[in-house]
Amino acid sequence: MRPVSAMSFVRRPWRLLAEASALLIAVVVAFPLYWMVLSAFKPAGEIESSEPRPWTLAPSLDSFRRVFEQNEFGRYFLNSLVVACTVVIVSALIAFLAATAVTRFRFRFRTTLLIMFLVAQMVPVEALTIPLFFLMRDFGQLNTLGSLILPHIAFSLPFAIWMLRGFVKAVPEALEEAAYMDGASRSRFLWQILFPLVFPGLVATSVFSFISAWNDFLFAKSFIISDTSQSTLPMALLVFYKPDEPDWGGVMAASTVMTIPVLIFFVLVQRRLVSGLGGAVKD
Amino acid sequence: MKLAPRLAVLLTALAVTACAPQTSTNSSSDKDEKTGTLRVWLFQEVGNKPKEKVVDSVVTAFEKAHDGTEVDVEYIPIETRAQRVKAAFNDPDSAPDVMEYGNTDTAGYVKDGGLLDVTKEFGDWSEAKDTDPTAKQSVTVDGKIYGAPFYVGVRALYYRTDVFEELGLEVPKTMTELATTARKIRAAKPELYGLVVGGAYTYGAMPFVWANGGEIAAGKGGSYASAIDSAAAQKGIKAYTSLFTDDNCPAAKCAGMGGNDTVTAFAAGKAGMAIGGDFSHTAVEAGKVKGKYAVVPLPGVAAGSIAPAFAGGNNIGVLKSTSHRTLAVELMEQLASKKTQASMFGAMGFLPTFSDVRQQVAAQEPYVKPFAETLAAGTKFVPASPAWSEIDSSLVLPTMFQEVISGKKDVAGASEDAAKKMDEAFGSAG
Amino acid sequence: MNSSPRPMGRWSTPWLYLAPALVVLAGLLVYPVYQLGLISFFQYTQAQVSGGEPTTFQGFGNYAELFGDEQFWQVLLATVVFAAACVVSTLAVGCALAVLLTRVRAVPRLALMLAAMGAWATPAITGSTVWLFLFDPDFGPVNRVLGLGDHSWTYGRFSAFFLVLLEVVWCSFPFVMVTVYAGIRAVPAEVLEAAALDGASQWRIWRSVLAPMLRPILVVVTIQSVIWDFKVFTQIYVMTNGGGIAGQNLVLNVYAYQKAFASSQYSLGSAIGVVMLLILLAVTLVYLRLLRRQGEEL
Repeated sequence: MRPVSAMSFVRRPWRLLAEASALLIAVVVAFPLYWMVLSAFKPAGEIESSEPRPWTLAPSLDSFRRVFEQNEFGRYFLNSLVVACTVVIVSALIAFLAATAVTRFRFRFRTTLLIMFLVAQMVPVEALTIPLFFLMRDFGQLNTLGSLILPHIAFSLPFAIWMLRGFVKAVPEALEEAAYMDGASRSRFLWQILFPLVFPGLVATSVFSFISAWNDFLFAKSFIISDTSQSTLPMALLVFYKPDEPDWGGVMAASTVMTIPVLIFFVLVQRRLVSGLGGAVKD
Repeated sequence: MKLAPRLAVLLTALAVTACAPQTSTNSSSDKDEKTGTLRVWLFQEVGNKPKEKVVDSVVTAFEKAHDGTEVDVEYIPIETRAQRVKAAFNDPDSAPDVMEYGNTDTAGYVKDGGLLDVTKEFGDWSEAKDTDPTAKQSVTVDGKIYGAPFYVGVRALYYRTDVFEELGLEVPKTMTELATTARKIRAAKPELYGLVVGGAYTYGAMPFVWANGGEIAAGKGGSYASAIDSAAAQKGIKAYTSLFTDDNCPAAKCAGMGGNDTVTAFAAGKAGMAIGGDFSHTAVEAGKVKGKYAVVPLPGVAAGSIAPAFAGGNNIGVLKSTSHRTLAVELMEQLASKKTQASMFGAMGFLPTFSDVRQQVAAQEPYVKPFAETLAAGTKFVPASPAWSEIDSSLVLPTMFQEVISGKKDVAGASEDAAKKMDEAFGSAG
Repeated sequence: MNSSPRPMGRWSTPWLYLAPALVVLAGLLVYPVYQLGLISFFQYTQAQVSGGEPTTFQGFGNYAELFGDEQFWQVLLATVVFAAACVVSTLAVGCALAVLLTRVRAVPRLALMLAAMGAWATPAITGSTVWLFLFDPDFGPVNRVLGLGDHSWTYGRFSAFFLVLLEVVWCSFPFVMVTVYAGIRAVPAEVLEAAALDGASQWRIWRSVLAPMLRPILVVVTIQSVIWDFKVFTQIYVMTNGGGIAGQNLVLNVYAYQKAFASSQYSLGSAIGVVMLLILLAVTLVYLRLLRRQGEEL
């Protein structure tokens, strides 16, 4: 199938206009990010100037230095990475199994379950902090990374299952039957045939789990009480987010540091993400 | 939905295991170990290094004096302290033995069952007799003492000497003069706020209420009734909110400001006057206005009087859940001792809570004088009720000021609503 | 050779596959939600949590208090209107840009795609701060460019909500755009060419060819947007400093958080959480019913 973009019926002036506006919109959309990085590199005097300029002639690393000088900054960064990656991998595997169950089988309560998965996404996470606190305390997970990983797995699962359905469905039934004809076992089909085919979808959904786990500061704030070596990046950066007295340079540098890993992750998975999210329509 | 029966079974099962929401058993620990690790939480200040140095020397001396003890000090960011402290009350295993806390939180923390009653030890402590009465009041709830005062903070009027000289202005002697002077500055120099004020700056606003004879609440001991809607208080509220006009501090910019915002604006040279604390001294010194400002006590209603200031500050307390009671109390005394407070003043500029130590440092550092005068003229404190934490954190007073400033309600309406909310809180906290 | 055609047909197999997900969700989602509901029926403040006072059963007392509070209704109304505005704007911008993406060559497409990815990847707390900085009355570039002097965007109720809406749309349109774009690409070009040759206008092609084919995708992005925008928290919390001047920019989620954590009234906060959950549930069930009537299957 030919991509629509190659359609010949779009007349030239219109296409040029469309391309010009696409570029313009891209600039507008990217501008906040540009301004963030720019402000992070601006020397102190230029940030809080009443004549902001969209460039700087004297880039400075002072703001970044303030960010990195915090105690155990590397440790926090690593902790965040551990949390986000664990959440992504575990929730992807669990969601894959569950999505297979709800799409490739007919069984009682199937629709009910699907609705439950949808409903589960509506739970206001912020309100659950207190019950989760006691749960984590009883599990003995307070002050450990586990207290951050477990809830995030739970919160990213429903959406992941919901999104993955389309991909699992898209794998033709004929393929499954052919596999069994060839004597493949159930688990062989699941992991060696279905899994690779659904992988782009897994990547697409993992983006969401990654972001939610990476950005978390509510749970970190509430569950990591006495052991600072288990703290995460947003906690280290929160120091700069003082509503009363914003250190804009520090805030922007901290924001840059926090955004970059997600950005890298996005660029890495970009292609799969586009094909992945489209999976739902290919019936 | 066919799910119903199954769900019902599940819910019954859960109901058997937990039929009421969970709570902690935060009873005081009976243990009083004489060795082991003591955990201490102190606030992380802007520019924390000097504070750490002073604390380190106290800790080293303490560890030397007590064989087999170790002190683990952690500096917690002020922004997250509420969650951390609540969590510590809920999970005694994570709780520190000794912690620093804001003096407005005392009553709330006591009600939450977190702080240890140290009345006896405080009475036995030789240095305690020199503690000034206001500071002592801030660790006292219902006649019992829950900690040792660490430092006090009061606010006074910062003004720009260069601006005053250029415009030929006199330092205001009354609250009315304060407002007219502020408008004169703004009229002559429209790029400056006259007196920079903040809608969310409760402790900058309260002196106006107090100076006019108003009170936040009236009462003693356990029962309080709001008094913020009294005629006198309303006069004060009016005096403060009338400063949020285009000819002094435009509402669009000032209504959302908090205390630090106003100090930041003054330090950056954007205001003729500001209400700042002794603890703001370092920040202002580091700003553009260094050498171009002076501080006087905030004037009251009558000429020559001083408006009552809020006596803020922090205390050091011992947590009820500590298993090292004797050691923890002793460490608290060391951290809040005259010697530590004197060096803490040198390091951070925190005003000592001992009258004699404060006189000594005032003699060395002239900038302390207006703050010491303000303290001497009499200060006010927030109601010593557990409800105060709630009133404070649900922003009752800032909301009231902001409602008036933004014209959503008039002074009478906003103050009555605030009074109603406060009375509800007082009532429920008993 | 095993001749049985479908060894996956046993009834227990799907439950086996579902088991890990169900265990995790039951323990970490259903149980806390159950606790949430329970708390909303009790008197439960910090004093009860830390064991200073016994918990007491309130029945519907907390709900009565909530529904009797004029502010609650105000916040509820603001939440619904604000979420609706966010959903509509996000969907409109996302779909329009998805169509635009199909009309341009590789370079502008890549540029727009990367910019959108950047916006998407930005953590909510970061994005909120950056937008706040862009519109800062003193140091922000927007007021300079628009010549607004030191106009404060967060002072007025509507302008503050508008600012938050811009940020929400900025960070959530990429999901809609990418998904819809991927969906359009999966539509055979021949179908569109045929429609174009018949002389159908762009709007007509979208309405009568693309939209029906994209319906499953549109359903997903709409439901997701409703869920996300109704629960918006970080943006309001950061950009209006916890709810705006005198609480004018509160939405339910922030209101619940303020009640629960700032004022330690966990039971009231929980009650608000339960109300939110019920509202979202109702919206979704109505939506699903409509879908089913149109013959869509889950």
